[in-house]
Amino acid sequence: MLFPVLAQSQVKSKLWYDGNSRVIFNRDALEGTLKDIDTVSTRSNGGGSTVLDLGFHFTPVDDIEIFSEIRLKNDFGGMWGNKSVVELRRLSAKGIVNNKIAFSIGDIYLKQTKFTLYNYEQELSQYEPSVFKFYRDYVNYENYYQSNYWRLQGVQTNFSYNMYNFIEQLDFDAFTARIRGLEWLGKPELLMLGGSAVVRLSNNINLGYHYVNTFEVLSSSNGSIAYYNPVLNTQLSYSGLLKNIPYKILLEGGLSKRGWEGDSLAPEIKGYFTNATLKAKSKKGEINLGFRYVDTDFRSIGAQTRRIEYNNTTTTYPYYSNNYYQRKVSLLDMISDPNIYNQNLSTSLMNYNPMYSSVSPYGDATPNRVGVTLEIDNLNLTNFLSAKIQSQYFSEVIGQGTIQKRNFNKSALHSSLSLDKLLSLNKTFILEGSINLETVNRSGSDFEKINFSSVLYSGSISFELIKNLKLIAGAKVFYTDGNEFITERDNYDQIIDYSNINYLNKETIFIAGLQHQFTDDIYFTMQYNQFNVLDKTNVYDEFSLSRIIFMFNMNL
Amino acid sequence: MKKLKFLLLLLPFLFNSCEKNEIEGPSLNNLFADLEILEPLNIIGDSADFASGQNIYFTASFSKQLDWKIKIEGQSSGSVKIISGKSNEINQSNSTWLGNSSSLPFFIKEDCKVLLSFEAHDDTISSQLNIQQEKDYQNENTVLITDLENNFNPNFTGFFQAGCTKALTVGGAGQKDKYLAQFGICDWDWLIGYVDYFSTFWYDDKNNMINDPSKLYFNIMIKGDSTISSVTNLPNSLFKLEFYEDENGDDYHDANSEDRFDYEFDVNWTGWRMVSICYNDLVPPATNPGNGIKQPDKIFKVRTLLLANPESGYAKADVDFLIWSNGAPILN
Repeated sequence: MLFPVLAQSQVKSKLWYDGNSRVIFNRDALEGTLKDIDTVSTRSNGGGSTVLDLGFHFTPVDDIEIFSEIRLKNDFGGMWGNKSVVELRRLSAKGIVNNKIAFSIGDIYLKQTKFTLYNYEQELSQYEPSVFKFYRDYVNYENYYQSNYWRLQGVQTNFSYNMYNFIEQLDFDAFTARIRGLEWLGKPELLMLGGSAVVRLSNNINLGYHYVNTFEVLSSSNGSIAYYNPVLNTQLSYSGLLKNIPYKILLEGGLSKRGWEGDSLAPEIKGYFTNATLKAKSKKGEINLGFRYVDTDFRSIGAQTRRIEYNNTTTTYPYYSNNYYQRKVSLLDMISDPNIYNQNLSTSLMNYNPMYSSVSPYGDATPNRVGVTLEIDNLNLTNFLSAKIQSQYFSEVIGQGTIQKRNFNKSALHSSLSLDKLLSLNKTFILEGSINLETVNRSGSDFEKINFSSVLYSGSISFELIKNLKLIAGAKVFYTDGNEFITERDNYDQIIDYSNINYLNKETIFIAGLQHQFTDDIYFTMQYNQFNVLDKTNVYDEFSLSRIIFMFNMNL
Repeated sequence: MKKLKFLLLLLPFLFNSCEKNEIEGPSLNNLFADLEILEPLNIIGDSADFASGQNIYFTASFSKQLDWKIKIEGQSSGSVKIISGKSNEINQSNSTWLGNSSSLPFFIKEDCKVLLSFEAHDDTISSQLNIQQEKDYQNENTVLITDLENNFNPNFTGFFQAGCTKALTVGGAGQKDKYLAQFGICDWDWLIGYVDYFSTFWYDDKNNMINDPSKLYFNIMIKGDSTISSVTNLPNSLFKLEFYEDENGDDYHDANSEDRFDYEFDVNWTGWRMVSICYNDLVPPATNPGNGIKQPDKIFKVRTLLLANPESGYAKADVDFLIWSNGAPILN
């Protein structure tokens, strides 16, 4: 904190500010039969806070910028400093050495390839109607999710060379991050080293090598076991033009190794992947065809760490019913609760719930998958109707517990209808709808059969009442039906058991309210929400909740 | 240049792997499928003469890998042998039976019931076999101290408190017919009684014993009655084994200069049980004047002591078939 101030006294410097602010208040109340039969939980509860994340950008010299973000938070219900928090949210420095080598140090955001270091979106967020965006912004911001970057602490540098001969340009990027610090009598420090070298052979061809190695430093603990997970990814891309349609081919492959040095019980596994995509863009839209093979033993801590941590406790009614059940993470928490999300890379495959994501729980890096993908984006059917479509078909590379393999299908459709354009209105009036469908099937004998499906229907309406003030409403209805086997893994990610779980669930979310848009990034919204979680297998009691929420959001 | 581009295009696919044949994780068939008996239980070598080294084994096969258990129960002796495993096939390698017992008494020449059962499945298969001649536990890897069948050797001296009993008893023995009954009440001392089994008078030559304390086992059959002390609420009968070494070879154990190693345990069971102790697991008394080295070839005598809390009443621990075995406990 003092460093910028000291520097200011010695050199002529600039200090400028930015920041984000949010005011949120919500009041939750039990609904439905639960309100009458649950005599343990409170009828309602609520809370809120004012948050100001103030960013200080200090440039002591032209090539250096030091950035710190201070969070001022005041929970509603506190007074005179009570329940007020001041904390450092981010501290970093970046600069350029001799106008050639850029560097960042401190809290940095890192992303590499989809198989080495990539922060995949949470489940069921694809093609989400825009009226739910305020919740998504809130969750992602609180968890430092900026597009698909992981927020890590370390140092990163990159530089380029232009050569103007057979090789036109070389781009280098390298980083090191401390994933886990020193633990008293605990695990060793966990570090991540990574680097990329992209060779531009011509304007059309790029060849990239990407490498990430995550490892424990044995000397930093009293133990004798150290984890390691190097991952290599090679990419070759070619851009061209076919009948005036631009296209891009990406071919990539890679391998990983994962083990625990010094642990005779731990297996060292090696895995591979191959990915090929063809992208083409026309006036009507963009098409993306792909083929992907990810080996069963492919392990990449940077790409397979999931956002949602299903073992976390939910913020809203973590326990309910007279039996004081712990409430499972459900769709309502996924869209609105930042506390179920994970900010740390995980050295082992994290648990997932097949209800919400069974086809690609670890994104493109999901092990044991081979199949094809099709995506059509920005499909402009008319000037008032656009659509996006995605479909994926996968199979397991090898079966889990059987020679029969699962077959997966994941399809999604989103369409947006601009009624204002259709009806020639001068106020925006937009309807959106989307469907996310997943199916899993496995044939064979009765004891190994799987027949599972889940579907999420989403819709929204946004009507501008007066300039920038919109009436909004949205709904999500989520169904699951069938059975799926959940695997239990040991400390080394090896499958040791299965549970055959039957699903028959329905979850609904309705929201309605007003939203005023000062700019795209500054808005307030006031809404009534209703959530319902129904497990028709009767393992868990029905959970119903209504919520009134006010949120003011400002991103500068 | 075109050739180079072509080669570069192929590069990523160099990492592609061959499809694997095996499955990932444990077999669902083994965990969830119904059990089918593909081949019924067969007994190979029925009416075996175990004394002459013959054996019996079983065969069967199942639709899945699972935990199975074969229980052989002597119709006359009541002895039990358990053979268990985890596989989808029972064969000679995992079910060979040499006539030994899992729980005492020993099998005799008799008919036996055979029951094959499975973990987590209700299915059972019953059968029957005959033992033409029981197993002889004495061989080149054992040294018998006494089985009491030729009566109690009077050279095995000892002491029992007044009113306490040490008696050779016929019928109901752990091995064959005779055993030494030991019981009584002593309300003034912990000691009920003891017997010294001098190595000079052992049934077999002690030189057949392996002189490696980590591979030598002392085995003794003990019959308890599980009496619980009304005072301490603990098992009433204590049993102690003391092994005296004659380190200087003068046919005498000098308590002031030579080793003694002990082993003590509660007799908290009813009926016969084989107690087997590795010589290496013996512990010296608090003050041990010897060299501290366990030397089985220098054993002078084995003392068996029946002890009980003077306040707690009746104690009982009958003994039979004291035998040394090389390499493993006698019932292995």
